[in-house]
Amino acid sequence: MQHDGLATPRGFDPRRLPEFVPDPALWSRIAAAQQRRVLQRRWRRAAFGGAVAASFAVAILLGGRPLVAPVAPSATLAMQEESRSLEGEWRRLAGAQAAAVGSTRLRAIDAELQAAYDRGATSNELAPLWRQRNRALRGLIAAVQDGAYGRVSSITQL
Amino acid sequence: MADGQTHSVDAVPSGSGFGQALDRVTLERARRGDMAAFAAIYERFGAACYTLALRVLGEPAAAEDIVQDVFLKMFATLRSFRGDAPFGAWLKRLTANATIDVLRARQRFHGDDVESLFDSMPALAADAEDGVDAWSLLMRLPPRARAVVVLHEVEGYTHRELAELFGQSESYSKSILARALKRLNDDAGGSQEVRDAT
Repeated sequence: MQHDGLATPRGFDPRRLPEFVPDPALWSRIAAAQQRRVLQRRWRRAAFGGAVAASFAVAILLGGRPLVAPVAPSATLAMQEESRSLEGEWRRLAGAQAAAVGSTRLRAIDAELQAAYDRGATSNELAPLWRQRNRALRGLIAAVQDGAYGRVSSITQL
Repeated sequence: MADGQTHSVDAVPSGSGFGQALDRVTLERARRGDMAAFAAIYERFGAACYTLALRVLGEPAAAEDIVQDVFLKMFATLRSFRGDAPFGAWLKRLTANATIDVLRARQRFHGDDVESLFDSMPALAADAEDGVDAWSLLMRLPPRARAVVVLHEVEGYTHRELAELFGQSESYSKSILARALKRLNDDAGGSQEVRDAT
């Protein structure tokens, strides 16, 4: 191979170093390697997506509600106990007015609870209803304690 | 020197390859993963990468490996190129780093004694038939000295940049450069004297 890079009498001149071009096949090797990388990335993504879809399907088959953590029946029972306690407290504080005034919201929740039990709902469906009931009772109790009980509209909104 | 797969290109100023501009459209297409744009970038800068790696490593196969690694890395990281510096300068840095990494992996970078670095240099043959060209003179240097000469004298690296690249002090690369250039100039002069005498 020839190149114009002779050292001059003045000494070494780096500007006279030859330039080189690589083997013409190098680009095709680089392009092939890049294509392999792209394909591998796609396969990894596809595999990850498939794994997620498979786990989702298995969860649906096994539990019906894969993204919601199951609520233990004992937790629902505890909420029922709390609800009974809160209701007793509310009736004690409100006295005779409790039955007369009541709470629209509380009655609506009770109706939902009854319907849920009638259709054999799971603990996952019952737990949020019991939670709502207890929240409504706590609101009623707080209203009585704040002296707002005489204002019927404010109670029935709870 | 290079084997039969390597072709020299005369009358191209040394170190000019990385100074070429890359148009914005090609850059954006490459960022989106367009292989035709990558091919255009290779067409423009592939020889510059190869030349830099070959000048330092002295082995065409190793230089081709560097070019492949650099371009694959460039494909993977092009989205992070913000365009603060010219594209060629960014690619040159990738190439220089990859080349120095290869030298490190070959365990030729141990030892801080600059003088011992040049001890293994072969003596110049007194009967060099066609004189000694710049390439042959460069190839007589130990790899680390070649790297310093090429990066500083051709690619425009500062001693501060060389210090960061080699993990040494600035005075270290200055010392290597001074000794390397002296050797090169001595050998070039000696070669001239041999030719004049014959």
